[in-house]
Amino acid sequence: MVFAAVLHLCVLAWLASVLAADDYHLVIAPQSPVVQIGSNFTATCMIINTTEVTADDLYWKCSEIIPKEHYIKINSSALNVTVTIRSEKSEWLLCKCKTVSQYVALNEGKFIHGILLRKGYRPEKPKNLSCIAVHESEKISSNIRCQWEAVGNQTEAVPTSYTLFVRQIGSDKVYTASILGPVNSTTVDMNFFPYHMELEIWVVAQNELGKEESEHLIKLANCFVKTKPPSVTVISEAVFPTSLVMNWTSSIDKRYLEMIYEIRFCPLGSQTWLYVPLADTSRYIQSFRLQNLRPDTVYVTQVRCKYNNKNCGYWSDWSRNVTERTPEDLPKSKPDVWIITSAEGINKRQIEFICKDPEFSNGRIRRFNITIEKQKYRIKNGTWEIIPVNRSLTDGSSSKKQITPLKTILLDDEESVTVYVTAINSVGTSPQAKLIISRKTREPPAVEKMEVQSHNGQLLLSWKPPNRTVSEYVVEWSSDGERNWQRENGKANCTKIKGDLKRFVHYRISVYPIYGKLVGKPVHEQAYAEQGVPSQAPTVNLSGDPGCYTAKLEWDEIPLIKRHGFITNYTIYYRSGTETHGITVPPNTTSYTLTSLSRNTKYDIWIKASTIRGSVNGSNHSFTTLKYAPGEIEGIVVGVSLGFLFVVLMTMLLCFCKKDVIKDNFWPQIPNPGDSTIGNWSPDYPLKAEAPRENCLSGISVLNVDVCDAKCVFEEDKASLPLKKDKYLSEEHSSGIGGSSCMSSPRQSVSDSDEGGDMADTTASTIQYSSVVASSGYKGQNPSSLPQQSIFSRSESTQPLLDCEENHDTMVQEGSRQCFLRQPCFNHNAGNENATDSNDFNPLEMEQQEVLDFCPLEEDTEHTAPKDCQSDDWIPATVSSYMPQLGGYRPQ
Amino acid sequence: MNGHVKNMHFQQFMETAATLLSLLLLMTVDSTKTVAASKNPQCGNLLQQTLKISRIVHKESGDLIKTYKAAQGEMSELFCKVSVNDIPDPNISGLDPPARIASIYTHLQAFLPHFKRVYKQQTDLQLPGSPLLKELNTVRGRTENLASCINTFYQSLFPNLPIPEPAGGPTTLPPAQNVFQQKVYGCVVLKTYKDFMSNVSKELRNLKSKVCKKRTPRNAF
Repeated sequence: MVFAAVLHLCVLAWLASVLAADDYHLVIAPQSPVVQIGSNFTATCMIINTTEVTADDLYWKCSEIIPKEHYIKINSSALNVTVTIRSEKSEWLLCKCKTVSQYVALNEGKFIHGILLRKGYRPEKPKNLSCIAVHESEKISSNIRCQWEAVGNQTEAVPTSYTLFVRQIGSDKVYTASILGPVNSTTVDMNFFPYHMELEIWVVAQNELGKEESEHLIKLANCFVKTKPPSVTVISEAVFPTSLVMNWTSSIDKRYLEMIYEIRFCPLGSQTWLYVPLADTSRYIQSFRLQNLRPDTVYVTQVRCKYNNKNCGYWSDWSRNVTERTPEDLPKSKPDVWIITSAEGINKRQIEFICKDPEFSNGRIRRFNITIEKQKYRIKNGTWEIIPVNRSLTDGSSSKKQITPLKTILLDDEESVTVYVTAINSVGTSPQAKLIISRKTREPPAVEKMEVQSHNGQLLLSWKPPNRTVSEYVVEWSSDGERNWQRENGKANCTKIKGDLKRFVHYRISVYPIYGKLVGKPVHEQAYAEQGVPSQAPTVNLSGDPGCYTAKLEWDEIPLIKRHGFITNYTIYYRSGTETHGITVPPNTTSYTLTSLSRNTKYDIWIKASTIRGSVNGSNHSFTTLKYAPGEIEGIVVGVSLGFLFVVLMTMLLCFCKKDVIKDNFWPQIPNPGDSTIGNWSPDYPLKAEAPRENCLSGISVLNVDVCDAKCVFEEDKASLPLKKDKYLSEEHSSGIGGSSCMSSPRQSVSDSDEGGDMADTTASTIQYSSVVASSGYKGQNPSSLPQQSIFSRSESTQPLLDCEENHDTMVQEGSRQCFLRQPCFNHNAGNENATDSNDFNPLEMEQQEVLDFCPLEEDTEHTAPKDCQSDDWIPATVSSYMPQLGGYRPQ
Repeated sequence: MNGHVKNMHFQQFMETAATLLSLLLLMTVDSTKTVAASKNPQCGNLLQQTLKISRIVHKESGDLIKTYKAAQGEMSELFCKVSVNDIPDPNISGLDPPARIASIYTHLQAFLPHFKRVYKQQTDLQLPGSPLLKELNTVRGRTENLASCINTFYQSLFPNLPIPEPAGGPTTLPPAQNVFQQKVYGCVVLKTYKDFMSNVSKELRNLKSKVCKKRTPRNAF
């Protein structure tokens, strides 16, 4: 301690003397220290070559200013600080001076001094040192590679280096190799490998804070050797079918290394090695006989070696696989005979006998011998039928036993047989296997409550044994074209299927109880070792044509091989536009009728098949619902036709029943003027001279024809105008009465009132018929009737003549469409009012107005709008409106 | 005359007795040494280790000669049998085991300079990395190991007997040689060494039964 303090002061003095030359005023000791993390570190700052400052003006700074309680003032020019090193990061420790004077302020650089604290950990003792020398070419490598476990931490600033020492005991030779941490292994080259020499090996961890040495490993050099595995050969000897002889040559000369060996072997395909006890092989041997092996079985063998020392040495790697087949021997167990039963006609069964090689066939089975005894007749065939087996050598070695079909027989349901089978290999014959097939009606009872569960890709079976004592059970499983079985003890009530079950494959599991040798009744179950998503969904199709609102769908079941599991349900999807509907149906369904569809709509349909593992969608199928259901159009047509017929009939019936009313409406009863109270008026000339020349115009006298008339009158009328004029001129007393009821139109009375200047003279309550009723007009209809005296009279009657005339408003409305037609006439007439005697009767006007009164029916059919009357084209319309009128009169 | 005869007889008797006593003493001493050695529990292990190394050296010396001859080109077998001065005798000298063990040790030490010289000569004659140089180096190193083992074995057997160094001080080497002489010299050295190692192996096998006897029931009393 004292020595350290003295040394510290000496260093400080030396530093002071060195730094004095540079005119620094502060100096720290020690310089460039390496400090151990977790320890206290003390540094001294000394003031030199100045009296400007004292130790009281100094302060220490590391990452931050160090509090004064860590300072120790040595004297007025030296200040100590003690800090605890915590972080791993290197940092500067600075001694600084307060600015106590102008000089200090101006020479700040001279009043600061710092040292870099390099931090690290003291090395710790390396652990678990181990070394190895590997076998290269034909000798052991002269390089010994050692590794160890580094203990403790190290920092980048203070790294730890490791030096490996290998000393050959008995000589002064020491080999070394160094490596910088954190690598913890290195190799020492010894020029040649020192067989049988004792080596002392250790590793030293060292850094600037100290060094530590590992435990010394003192062993023979041979203990560090790891050799190559030996080369092995295996020989089989025909006289020893249960043994194989192994020979090997050591990879290295015995003078260098005396080896011990370890042997392991297993039947080909087995996953478990069998080890020969080390006690039998832990010596220098070069051959070994494996015993108690199975005949005619391929065995895989391996050997490894190690330096013959119980306490040290490395085992070599295992030698490469060497396989050899043991010789054949007599079959030591019975062949496994079984049956496949299927119904064949009525009261008949087809039974196929199949057989697996004996479990201990001890060789390749060349043939089976079979004999069948029909118990009904108690006849034993006595002769053995030979079933040759054509099987390659590799088939026999496979773990899966081959199934050989032996014979197929037809058996009555009431018949029972016993079959005997033996297997023969190249050495001899196996014990005899026996099986009894009972009468079908007397089959022994089956097991009860059989259940199959899948678990981790395996099938677990359980059942309740029948009441009778069962000697053994046969558990059979079959899939598409494949069949296998296994036998279970008679006391078992559960088992696991030992066969290589495939995923997603449907299996039919059957359990047969065997009573002695008698085959009992089986129980069957369906199962999957592991279910998956179906590989294919059914294709849905329409059954027939779709309707307006319904469509019947049909699909086939998914083939068993593609189901991959039990179908839990089908979901039918149908989509129109963006709207999709789904309907779930049970798995046993293969058809479904979609309802609530829309007519004339295209639908996409598909079906989804689901198992517990997932679903798969089938392909789309599209169809379009009908716009009209079959017969719908016919129904509509028939309905409409019937309706129309009904209407026609009803109309006809109505017409028939109401013919009087119709007659009254369309052919009103013209009051007989003769019955009128109007005063008689005799014309100036006799009636005889006025025999009608034409039917249609009989009794009609045209009084005046003007421009308006030319326009208004139909062309035909125009043609007849001269005639009319003539008639008018010649028969100026004719008033244009043509037998028309319209001659008594109330409108005429309006015109009459207009033309009369003395309206005041007419009483409001009296309707004066301005029509001049020519009784001869009807005479024209009845030319054969006696000519009556033409009487022109003004009716003074207030009695309405016709219903239409009574319905004044209606007629006005109807007449409103004709007002424009009439207006020019009235205007014209008004214009000519002066020229014409106001008292004179204007027959033409009358005629026109009467004609108009016949128009409404025809105008309705023409649908002439009133405004049309205001157009310039109103004349043709007017003309057309007259046509029926004229035509209607023609027959008259 | 009778007195002279008696003296003569007595003298003869005394000589015979002295001889027998000497023999007896010698046998006693020898027996003591043997018993002393056999009491060392490490004897068997050390001897076994030494024997194993000697076998390796013997094998490797044989291999070395083959490699040497192959590396020298056409070379008559006879050249390896010629006599060369200053090469150690392959025979082990000494009458008793310590002497013979010491002889083995001194011979091994004596061969080392020769190996060194042969190695140096062959370095000039062979390419670097030649198997011969490697084997020479290995045999030389193995010889040192064997010598070390012999020394340890000797000292464990006879802790109070210092192991002698080669007689006549350091081994003298022959004068400068031409290439042919070098080849012959090397071959003679290796051949002699192989013969010597053959003798060593035999000697150690003999010693095994002599010096590292298992304790007899007598020792149990």
